[in-house]
Amino acid sequence: MRGWLTTHANACGRAVRRLLAQPTVTLLSVFVIGIAITLPLGLYVAFANVNAAAGRVSTEPNINVYLALNASEQETRDLERRLKSLGGVDRVAFISRESALQEMKRVANLAELLGSLEVNPLPHAFAIQPTAVDAATLEALRKEITTLPKVESLTMDFEWAQKLKRFATFAERIVLLLGLLLATAVVFVTGNTIRLQILTQKDEIEVSQLIGATRRFIRRPFLYFGAFQGLLAGLVAVLTVMAFVWWAGVEVRALTASYGGDFSLRAPTLNQSLGVVAFSGLLGWLGAFLSVWMYLRRVSGR
Amino acid sequence: MIAFSNTVKRYPNGFEALKGVSFSIERGEIVAVTGHSGAGKSTLLRLAAGIELASQGSVLVNSQNVSQLKEAGLAVMRRNLGLVFQDHKLLFDRNVFDNVALPLSIAGFSHLESGKRVRAALDKVGLLNREKAAPITLSGGEQQRLCIARAIVNRPAILIADEPTGNLDQAYAETIFDLFRSFNQVGVTVLLATHDESGLERLNCRRISLERGNVTA
Ligand SMILES: Nc1ncnc2c1ncn2[C@@H]1O[C@H](COP(=O)(O)OP(=O)(O)O)[C@@H](O)[C@H]1O
Ligand SMILES: [Mg+2]
Repeated sequence: MRGWLTTHANACGRAVRRLLAQPTVTLLSVFVIGIAITLPLGLYVAFANVNAAAGRVSTEPNINVYLALNASEQETRDLERRLKSLGGVDRVAFISRESALQEMKRVANLAELLGSLEVNPLPHAFAIQPTAVDAATLEALRKEITTLPKVESLTMDFEWAQKLKRFATFAERIVLLLGLLLATAVVFVTGNTIRLQILTQKDEIEVSQLIGATRRFIRRPFLYFGAFQGLLAGLVAVLTVMAFVWWAGVEVRALTASYGGDFSLRAPTLNQSLGVVAFSGLLGWLGAFLSVWMYLRRVSGR
Repeated sequence: MIAFSNTVKRYPNGFEALKGVSFSIERGEIVAVTGHSGAGKSTLLRLAAGIELASQGSVLVNSQNVSQLKEAGLAVMRRNLGLVFQDHKLLFDRNVFDNVALPLSIAGFSHLESGKRVRAALDKVGLLNREKAAPITLSGGEQQRLCIARAIVNRPAILIADEPTGNLDQAYAETIFDLFRSFNQVGVTVLLATHDESGLERLNCRRISLERGNVTA
């Protein structure tokens, strides 16, 4: 047990000494790997924020049905009755073209422009509150309403929020893929730094094996080296993303404050951060392992 | 302690460096392998150290069949051997002390613990005052003695040395042979290869004479 501790402490110490022996090279590697990890992590955090934002927007479905301009009063009442009789419809509110025009003048400051029009360009409309919220039912409902007489067009208010959500989910997958790709890159970058190290220590490795060092013993300091480098790079990535979130947060708060919103950006949690750092360390370890493994396999005759 | 029986070594290129060699060395013996250059001396020592494997026949060291050892077993065996290489295999990127300390760090000693043993080994070969020196600044004889210090620092039961007096002048060679004799006197089994006749006379030990891969005497 004491021997085991000593060998690990020795290997650990050698790894640290090697890291410090070439500080520029170490810093460079750490930053290259750090950037490779910052990219997917940053995008992940960005999309998680978009997703969270989409979640806050009301996704209560709301269907607006616009009538043809030539719809008569009778036809309008018929349509209202039929809409109310449809399955899955909760409430139906009538919005006359006149009130629509008034409303538009009020909100959009378009009074002057709209006032200059001789005819009201707006149609009658119904605002429908459906009982169902799932996409398939709503889609069926939408199809059914479209076929009704005098229905000119129809919008579903919730669509953009749902689209945003779907996009964010899709984006998260892309980020995952990108992360996987870059994780592989990190393994190779580490593998390469280790390969260069091995080349400078060829003699020592050869002699050590001749006088009784196991492959495990030869590997150990390199594994610590790779892991430490990875941990540092992971730390760089997390700190970079945190700094970015903090900076963007200031901007976003300034922006949303003018809309009376209280939206704040989410930074990676402590657990996520630790996870990323640990994962990065693991990648470094893996890169080192593969590199030494390949080298030893190549040089040993047996 | 070491036993070869009908041991054949065929190199990958098909060349048979040893053509069925049998002999055995008892604990505490000192034995010199002699023969011309190319006779197979180094090959024989490499087989005894498990650096090469026999193509046929067996090599027993400490009653273990070297060919059948797994990586870990072989490493353990090597740690209990002292090896002096024909080409020294010193590490020129570290000082004398650290070269000698290498086997101890492999055996799991901490830097602190190894200090005493390293100095004892350096003392035996007369290099105690050079522990901070870079190996490159040592003379040929000193480099050879450094190599011996590294081989004995782990207090091995068997010392295997390939042409330890290689290209040293007479006076140096004699001190090296005396060194091996003194290790042997404290119980270390010594197997060395040499073609240095005057050295052999000085050692006056049992010989295994090789000629083109065969034992002739
Ligand atoms: N790795 C090798 N591959 C092929 N032939 C080798 C190899 N090593 C040694 N030999 C050959 O085996 C013979 C014996 O070599 P060696 O054991 O080094 O002899 P010695 O040490 O007595 O000079 C030589 O002819 C040499 O060329
Ligand atoms: Mg030789």
